[in-house]
Amino acid sequence: MARPKAAFFDFSCCEGCQLQIANFGESLLDILNVIEVVEFREIMSEKYDGTLDVAIIEGSINTPRAVERIKAIRARSKTLVAIGACATTGGVNGIKNVFPLDEIAGYVYGGNFRDYETIQTMAVHQVVRVDYFVHGCPIYPPEFVAVLKALLMAIPYDVPDYPVCVECKLNGNVCMYDRGVSCLGPVTRAGCNSWCINNDNICYGCRGMVSNPNETGAIDVIKQYGLSIERIVNKLEMYNKCRELNPHG
Amino acid sequence: MAYVVLRKDRFDDFVSALSAQRKVMAPVSRGYNQFEFDEVHSGREIALSYIPTILPPKKYFMPQRETLIQFNSDSAEAVVDFYNMVILGVHTCDLAGIQCLNMVFSERPKDYNYLVRKNNITIIGLECNDYCDKYASCTLMSAELPNGGYDLFITEFDEYLLFHVSTQTGEDIINSVGIFEPANASHMSRLAGYRRQKRSIFNKELPVDSKDIAALFDKSFNSRVWDGLNERCLACGNCTNVCPTCYCFDVIDEPALDLTTGRRYRRWDSCQLEPFARVAGGANFRESRGHRQRHRYYRKFSYPVRKFFRYFCTGCGRCSRACMANIVLKDVLRDLLREHQ
Repeated sequence: MARPKAAFFDFSCCEGCQLQIANFGESLLDILNVIEVVEFREIMSEKYDGTLDVAIIEGSINTPRAVERIKAIRARSKTLVAIGACATTGGVNGIKNVFPLDEIAGYVYGGNFRDYETIQTMAVHQVVRVDYFVHGCPIYPPEFVAVLKALLMAIPYDVPDYPVCVECKLNGNVCMYDRGVSCLGPVTRAGCNSWCINNDNICYGCRGMVSNPNETGAIDVIKQYGLSIERIVNKLEMYNKCRELNPHG
Repeated sequence: MAYVVLRKDRFDDFVSALSAQRKVMAPVSRGYNQFEFDEVHSGREIALSYIPTILPPKKYFMPQRETLIQFNSDSAEAVVDFYNMVILGVHTCDLAGIQCLNMVFSERPKDYNYLVRKNNITIIGLECNDYCDKYASCTLMSAELPNGGYDLFITEFDEYLLFHVSTQTGEDIINSVGIFEPANASHMSRLAGYRRQKRSIFNKELPVDSKDIAALFDKSFNSRVWDGLNERCLACGNCTNVCPTCYCFDVIDEPALDLTTGRRYRRWDSCQLEPFARVAGGANFRESRGHRQRHRYYRKFSYPVRKFFRYFCTGCGRCSRACMANIVLKDVLRDLLREHQ
């Protein structure tokens, strides 16, 4: 059986998720046994403009040019995978949407900002249909492999729709709140195996929120721990600002 | 040889000798007044004075993630991964929890993965001489005193540890280590005094007879208490994951990248999570967090009474301690009681 042709494309992002894949080490060889990578700008020079079996997209969409480009990629790809927070939730680029467009464009580009066409930041699924999501900033390598396997078998990959706390407890971690530190694990969807907390860091909410967070309950908890609501909302906005545009794509 | 004595200054020798024989798991400090069972090689690593660990010792009987089958495209082989191990320092609440799980997994069809592992685990209990904290309700659940379920059981005194030897496995350990002395009448009268003293410390935590709790639940299904929990619960699943008697799991087939070999494994699941009762088509049988909390309480205080003739709460207090939203089991029971006063 011919290996499916796969290409990696990047939009507004740091390319760190592609770097994660480039850094897989030996297991990258296993991946290359099952897909044929025909374009991956970060690690190879070849280009490919034919029909793709799999398009793997990193980055969020925030210019009219990017909208056209992602639509063209979608049109020639049988399957499209969004990888990394920028692509799956808008990521940190979504912070742009906190400000009026002209104000933020002027802040970045100065007086000539109108020469640089820009639009509100969107996640990829807010522009074109996405078949698979690999959340995270950066992506969690084992989850990328799990999604790839689901894709090869043509079955859905279910992103866990429960909070990071589940995996964190299974790992026997001391709760960050018991350490006197606030953490976004309770409202952030799992699937990363509580990667950050396992390594003594807090959850920054990079995978986006669970589908049905208990907002009143969360406010109670924030108050009970003597935290300021504003501060937590600020923390949530780091990765979740695009959610209010069109959460379901 | 029902009781033997170990001088405290020999405890380290005991643990070292034990760990030379097999894996020894015991409570260790994780800081922030948090503890967890982990592998130890000396007595100095063990926190003998500890409050219930983050995860109960059930993780050694039914690991968080456990391979059941290895398969390839035309055959499959059942797998049981197990170690010969001693779990040292199990409090009476957790002994009760293990007894509950033993009943569940011994039912037909028997769960061989659980039972094989159980047969390779030796349990050394440890008595509590005081409450761990305000969340415990072990007396209400009759778990404050040893009630079987161990091979050896330790009661701690100032200068020595008194071991109750309950099984042949326990006796073999005592004989193989060889640093114990037989207990005499004065040791036994001190134990009796210790237990009398405990009766003045451990008092039923709520004004209800344990036997009446099941009847309370018979009339509480439509209680407003569950609506209150609906507002507060974050559905994080902490309460069930830390519960010594929760045993729900999900089974997942995980192929390797070659898509011809793979494994079937199970991992802990939780009735508190959004997708737990979601079915094909998107319908959810327990969509509200309040209904999911109610289900958890009924799985502790009502359904198992009909099936196993005992409560599946040991009063360890972990669910209350781990709850971000401060949903406290004792408060929920108290609120239900008040509704029917």
